[in-house]
Amino acid sequence: MSASVTGTTPLLRTSLKHDGRLIAPWIVLATALSASSVLVYPSVFPTAQDRAGLAAAIGANPALGLIFGPASNLTTVDGFNAWRSLALGGFLAALMSIFTVTRATRGQEDSGQAELLASGVLGRSSRLLTAVAMGVIGSLVLGIVAGFVTVVFGGGAESSLLLGATFTATGWMFAAFAAVTVQLGSDARTANSMAIGLLGVLFLLRGFLYSIGAPAWTSWANPLGWMTETRPASGNHWGPLLPAVALAGIVLAIAFKSQAHRDFGQGAIAPGPGPARGGNPSPLRLALRLNRGSFTTWTVAFVALGLVFGYFTTSVTTILGANSGVAHFLASGAVTPAQLTGAFLVTVLALVGIVASISGVQVMLKVRSEEMEDRVEPVLATAISRRRYYASNVVVALGSPAIYVLLAGTLIALIASHADLGVSFGGVLRQVLATVPAVWTVVAMSVTVIGARPHFRLVAWIGVLASFVLTLLGPTFGLPNWILGISPYWHVPNTTAPVHANTGLLWISFVTALFLVVGFAGFGRRDVAR
Amino acid sequence: MRAHVTNTEVVIDVQGLTKSFCKFQALRGLDLQVERGQVHGFLGPNGSGKSTTIRVLLGLLKADGGRVHLLGKDPWADVVELHRRLAYVPGEVSLWPGMSGGEAIDLLGTLRGGLNEKRRAELIQRFELDPTKRGRQYSKGNRQKVALVAALASDVELLILDEPTSGLDPLMENVFQEVVGEATQQGATVLLSSHILAELESLADRLSIIRDGQTVEHGTLTELRGRAKTSIHAEVERIPEPADLAALQDVHLDGKRLSATVESDRIGQAMALLTGYGFKSLTVEPPSLESLFLRMYEDDETTGVKE
Repeated sequence: MSASVTGTTPLLRTSLKHDGRLIAPWIVLATALSASSVLVYPSVFPTAQDRAGLAAAIGANPALGLIFGPASNLTTVDGFNAWRSLALGGFLAALMSIFTVTRATRGQEDSGQAELLASGVLGRSSRLLTAVAMGVIGSLVLGIVAGFVTVVFGGGAESSLLLGATFTATGWMFAAFAAVTVQLGSDARTANSMAIGLLGVLFLLRGFLYSIGAPAWTSWANPLGWMTETRPASGNHWGPLLPAVALAGIVLAIAFKSQAHRDFGQGAIAPGPGPARGGNPSPLRLALRLNRGSFTTWTVAFVALGLVFGYFTTSVTTILGANSGVAHFLASGAVTPAQLTGAFLVTVLALVGIVASISGVQVMLKVRSEEMEDRVEPVLATAISRRRYYASNVVVALGSPAIYVLLAGTLIALIASHADLGVSFGGVLRQVLATVPAVWTVVAMSVTVIGARPHFRLVAWIGVLASFVLTLLGPTFGLPNWILGISPYWHVPNTTAPVHANTGLLWISFVTALFLVVGFAGFGRRDVAR
Repeated sequence: MRAHVTNTEVVIDVQGLTKSFCKFQALRGLDLQVERGQVHGFLGPNGSGKSTTIRVLLGLLKADGGRVHLLGKDPWADVVELHRRLAYVPGEVSLWPGMSGGEAIDLLGTLRGGLNEKRRAELIQRFELDPTKRGRQYSKGNRQKVALVAALASDVELLILDEPTSGLDPLMENVFQEVVGEATQQGATVLLSSHILAELESLADRLSIIRDGQTVEHGTLTELRGRAKTSIHAEVERIPEPADLAALQDVHLDGKRLSATVESDRIGQAMALLTGYGFKSLTVEPPSLESLFLRMYEDDETTGVKE
């Protein structure tokens, strides 16, 4: 064993030094998520009455449960933090681990650095061990920093540290899963997609099964369910962390076993020979072609989202009926079930839109990575103008999320309209269409960033992040309208309501146009590949 | 020399080109003139600004200062029109990992405005390229072949080649030289950046040598050779007095063995001088390209600037 890990220590030291800065933002995000809860909660919800109101509001919005999981104790600051941060913090830690492990293994094999390293005095398993160690250390630091900073800002010691420990455990499990997917996929992108796909499925299943009150074994069958079962601030069970560590160990053993048997640079899934001729190419077809793999992944994801949300919509009145406050409103006739379903649909479709905007931003970031890998130069050296090249990519970036929203939305509309909820297929579809312009505004922001200031490409994600936070958490925190209005989804009218105005859509489309103009002007003027 | 250039059509005309990236000055007043129908060798040490110049010519980078004309047009403003008339082979060929070589050739060719089908098939055969492999499966040399076929299969006026053969084997290097020769016979102009001196020696009509973002030498190979020195090795019968050898340079006398250098246009004079001492043996070596370049690359003072 020792010969196969020769050289790990110096490689790990160098890797941490160089890639550590790529891990840091994830630690900051997870820490901010957890610490901001304990910082904000006492001032926003000072009285017991406010807190009961919060619990009622969250109970009345089942869409939140899909993302955040069950809320067991919203009347204390730690319970609130556990509800708000557990699922998302673990999600962030898992993404960090996946990206770190893939970058240090497949990513290096793709770029050729690994060949330089492997020809040195380095054991067969050293690179994988280094990558896994980086994921493990990164997750550990993330959990510790998030836990302690939360305590410093006023969180309860045990529940905050347990919360941090769930982040770490989730990170470890996905470092292990990523160590396996990099053996399977033959390039970094495939390996990343497989690991993130697994994360997405487990994440969605957890929220869904908790929300519909599925039997308890379903949460124990899901590694992410173990994290929820630790129940920080409402029980503080450390036990469920053990199976997580055990699972990470077993999966890692599989990864190292298959690493020892695989040829350098090859994966279990090998590509076959390609066509000798290229058909009739155009910049648009090139853009479609380059994103073909992610189209498949996203399409599957949105079919799943549509089915889950559709099914969820049919049970929304039942779930809400169990909530005493809402039941009271329903009984008094102040709210009809159709109105409840309508309001729920607005939120759920906004959520679909936010997820879809991620795919659009990815297309724009791909433009930049193509540029930095010297593949845009030969294309721009042909008779294709910059405007046409950029426009082809922008069309894909705006078009594909719109199709995803329509796909999931149509499924939701089909299921909801057959369930005797008082909503029609056409009515839901109108709401779906009204959501699309908001998705475009968020994606258009990334068009501006990549076109005009590509060095700050992380800024391209700000639109997605802001709309997520403001749409899902803003109303719960009672933020003023002018802040909520920063999110384009706030301007999407409830078209199922008898009276609604569409002026908001005009305004956000104006902003979209502005973003596009700036993006195109920037891309036309700047140096390429600098 | 300038007078000679103005008599014929200038396809690439660069004067006083400057370009900086942040604080780093990549080009500091570069000049480059390429005449129609010629192969123009473009060389200089690594990092001297060759690729930056080529990217400015392609309108990928915006010039900070100076005059840049390509086929009589502005490479930044008239991008599409110019790119229909030229083809480019980058120094680092990076192919789309999942796309086959054949698809990449068709993509680049079609986007330029169409490929010559017959030529495409012929080039694939001559370069012994397998077009069904995926981008990530090609070796460096094969990636370059893909880019070369894509560029040479179009009927264009101007070929811009940035170290196109650094990964090719000698057999393929021969094919490359043949193909470029055929292109110029049909009237194409070629800007060839290269470090392979044999290739430049056999292909280039004129050369420009740059250093630190400036042109330090330009002219035909013969002209450049004329500026370099010929080396002389002789075994003489009578030992000359050092003072008598003032016409020679770098004189080194070891008994009756003499070695020295002389300006190439003064060889006759040197021979006349040395004949007086009687020869046992004599070697006169014209300057090789290699020694020429070594001298220019190594020089610390840019004494070679001829403007």
